[in-house]
Amino acid sequence: MKLAHLALLAALFSAGAAAQDKPARKDMVLNGDAKCTRCHNEGDDYPVLAIGKTKHGTMADARTPTCTSCHGESDSHINKPASATERPRPDRSFGKHSKTPLEERSAACLTCHQGGNRIQWQMSAHSNRDVACSSCHQIHAAHDKVRDKLTQPDTCFTCHKEQRAQINRPWHHPVPEGKMSCSSCHNVHGGNPKQLVRDSVTETCFTCHMEKRGPFVHNHPPVQEDCAICHQPHGTTIPSLLKARPPFLCQECHSHTSHPSQAGALPGGRTISNSLLGSVGRGCLTCHTNIHGSNSTQNSATAGRFRR
Amino acid sequence: MSSKHILKLTALSAALAGAWGPALAQEEPSVAELSKPESVVSLGIGYWSDDRPRLGIYDGMPDKGAYGLLDALIIKRDDATGTWFTLDARYLGLDSREFRAEWLRQGDIGVSIEYNRIPYASPFTVMTATQGLGTSMQRVPTPSAPVLGEWQAGTVRDGWSAGFFKNLGGGTDFRVSLKNEHKEGGRLWGRGGAAEFAAEPIDSDTRQLEAVVSHAGKTFQIQGGYYGSSYTNRNSLVDTANINAAGTTLTNPFYLSLPLDNQAHQLYVNGAYNFTDRTRGTFKVAYTRATQDEDIPVGNGVPVFSGAPTHLDGRLDTTLAQLGVNSRATSNLSWLASLRYYNSDEKTPQQRVVQPAAGCGTCVDTTPLGFKTLTGRLEGTYRLTAGTSLIGGLEYSDQDRKVPFGNLNATGVDNQRYVPWRVELEELTYYVQGRRSLSETLNGSIRYGHSKRDGPDFTLTNEAQSDMINPIHIADRDRDKFRLMLDWSPLQALTLTFNAEYAKDEYGHSDTRPYGLRDGSATLYSIDAAYSISDNWQMTAWYSRDSAKATQLGQRAVNNGAAEAVKEANLEDIGDTFGAGLKGTIAPRLKGGIDLLYSKNVNKYPEAITLTGAGGVFPTVAGVTGAPLPDIENKMTRLKLYASYALQKHSEVRFDYWHELWQTNDWTWMFASGTPFTYGTTTDGTQVIQQPKQSANFFGVRYIYRMQ
Repeated sequence: MKLAHLALLAALFSAGAAAQDKPARKDMVLNGDAKCTRCHNEGDDYPVLAIGKTKHGTMADARTPTCTSCHGESDSHINKPASATERPRPDRSFGKHSKTPLEERSAACLTCHQGGNRIQWQMSAHSNRDVACSSCHQIHAAHDKVRDKLTQPDTCFTCHKEQRAQINRPWHHPVPEGKMSCSSCHNVHGGNPKQLVRDSVTETCFTCHMEKRGPFVHNHPPVQEDCAICHQPHGTTIPSLLKARPPFLCQECHSHTSHPSQAGALPGGRTISNSLLGSVGRGCLTCHTNIHGSNSTQNSATAGRFRR
Repeated sequence: MSSKHILKLTALSAALAGAWGPALAQEEPSVAELSKPESVVSLGIGYWSDDRPRLGIYDGMPDKGAYGLLDALIIKRDDATGTWFTLDARYLGLDSREFRAEWLRQGDIGVSIEYNRIPYASPFTVMTATQGLGTSMQRVPTPSAPVLGEWQAGTVRDGWSAGFFKNLGGGTDFRVSLKNEHKEGGRLWGRGGAAEFAAEPIDSDTRQLEAVVSHAGKTFQIQGGYYGSSYTNRNSLVDTANINAAGTTLTNPFYLSLPLDNQAHQLYVNGAYNFTDRTRGTFKVAYTRATQDEDIPVGNGVPVFSGAPTHLDGRLDTTLAQLGVNSRATSNLSWLASLRYYNSDEKTPQQRVVQPAAGCGTCVDTTPLGFKTLTGRLEGTYRLTAGTSLIGGLEYSDQDRKVPFGNLNATGVDNQRYVPWRVELEELTYYVQGRRSLSETLNGSIRYGHSKRDGPDFTLTNEAQSDMINPIHIADRDRDKFRLMLDWSPLQALTLTFNAEYAKDEYGHSDTRPYGLRDGSATLYSIDAAYSISDNWQMTAWYSRDSAKATQLGQRAVNNGAAEAVKEANLEDIGDTFGAGLKGTIAPRLKGGIDLLYSKNVNKYPEAITLTGAGGVFPTVAGVTGAPLPDIENKMTRLKLYASYALQKHSEVRFDYWHELWQTNDWTWMFASGTPFTYGTTTDGTQVIQQPKQSANFFGVRYIYRMQ
């Protein structure tokens, strides 16, 4: 007899016996989970037993929650009222079709997780734009996709479609390759502008690009102000993640006479004329090569133009 | 709860245990399999059929050939003590290898160590005779036709991190992390003094140390910490010079400065207090001091102004103070308000650096900058019904922008000011958003926002034409943003999501200041679909189209035969991206799937040049002139097929086949004729080359073993 048939027979037999003896059900993973796991297990669309594989399933940690810590006592769900045509939902549910208010869903998590980087959660754009913890996190899954830098972007791109398109452009940070993730730069639980990990765009970029921090003998003002004036960090079609190509990028601020005002053009051949080199190759940066700042004290005006 | 599984494990286990006694109760461990941490080790080999200079820039597999595929996720937990050991090792057979090991007694104490290597292989091939590329002494041959050799730009970041965690009890814990990253390699650069090729030598270290004490109570949470970072560059100056055919250095050394060592120290406190169960206040204060005071290197024989600093004494102080309150005033109304003060104030002394001759038309001083921004925000959310809510918000920011004026000419204008400046900038933003559940299966939201930015008169520059522009980041600007989202589940198995976004910027201008960006717009449409074909097969698909446009006006001065002109560039960037995936169970032991990603981007650079004087459309120098910029099209297709066959309960073998195709007509490194761009006229003739088409196939096989 196959195991399934055997089990079915056993289950039926057992059910009959249970009606007489009503033996106490045993918890399977969490303290007190028996009243839930009698119905819910890995057969659900959202397997519940895998929570035992996570930090939430570590019973030696006294802080480990029970099912009802998050879902509420849910008495009417467990004991369906005779008058109800459908089994009422748990006090708090977290799925896509949940009726539980988003604030209440997050509140269940914040009972334990309000500290650290989540102190400012209630002030964050996510919190105030209908995003709950469970919108991104899979609490019962052994592998919470959003906490793995290789798979995290898939979760973020559920809403951030523009960034999904940009990250697939030729010049990008190594996010598709799994070497960085959205949370390398963004504290998605925080209250900073653009939900960055540091207090400003520049401070965030300097965590990896510290050589741009200076201060320099010759500062280029936008570098200290905001890297995103010139760069699109999510991806572009232009080398160095530039928002526009030289000379157009530079001419968004610079309107100087002589060669800085040149039109976009490709030279017909080899030349050393700066009037013909604003677009090709590194464009303006061919000569103004230290564009993020220069430390030259050479007694030449060109030193102040990031050429030395 | 799904009804697809009639037999629940619980019932099965209980039945086996209760009805058939201990003999079959041994099936119970299957619960452990489902609820105890699992480890996975994967070992295999892969082969790329061709080089991938464009698509392999970061993944450690840029070249044709075989690669080892070794990954491991080892997770062990001692249930009695709650002690975890985790080893997550990825790409061990590749140049992008990384691992993280952690020992953690949950809720008590933990340590971790991490290594992460990020290679970057430039997609360009440099053909050059320049010597010493990527070092601090580079020599550029002057012969016009020397033998060119291949040089590859690129960097490698090797990062090591260590962390320690300790729960101090009572909701208080302490964390400290230390990271050191070494970066080495070379990147495309220029000699600065002329349009000649050089490569920046990169050999530096960054270090970050953060120590944080956090306390989280029911009503009060606080976090205080120190964050320090430092940068060390092993090169500070690059000596470049021409050499003749005999290899003799000519008397025109040219020195290029490099970033110097710098460091920053930050102290911060971040906290919140629940005044009531409905009202919460938050605050954050941080103070950072960044300094750079290294010896400023000077090349041999380089003229230096007698008063120029030998140390910059560079210092940047940053102060942040932030307050916020959010409250759920009633069951249907919530609001938040915040005030943020952020002051980035450079305290570097203003010093004369360049003073070439009597008079100071070309003098250069240091320019310590400062940006002090005060931002206030007020936002309310009102829930009209259970599925309908309205959000309205207002944000105001005021920025003081400091720049020194020391090098003034007779009319009081700063000689070294090339770009108009504004000492203050204001921006007011308001937005409204509605969200509604239109039915059980259809939800939607719509949002509109408008912002207006302006400021006082611009500070004048050192020449009239430069005063005719509105710099993009400080120009007057009206911005409108619109967003629509629909989430529809017409079937239990089908979900569709639609997105439409539109943003438009109008930049201020006047008769006397007509140039710069006039307007810009961005549009995005996307649709996502997820469909469960059956319990065993799922598919997803998405498509998005995005476009950005900008109109930019400028004046071209008479230059090398080109006439004075007014330019109007209508720049355009259009992207189409499509993704699709199908995965499922082919046979009881065989699973498989397919993923497709297609991306196409078109960039357009039309520029109308209206001549307003005598001369040509483009400059002409020594018989070389310019030509309009063609459109650029980039196309990428990546197809991934995979299948895994279960050998035994805990082991499987996985096969991968990927196909990549990359095509471009990018002219970045081309002359107008399409031939490779070549540097200079009298030097070695360095060329930078990009392959316009790349195609490669990957074959991989892995043995995967799972264990508990």
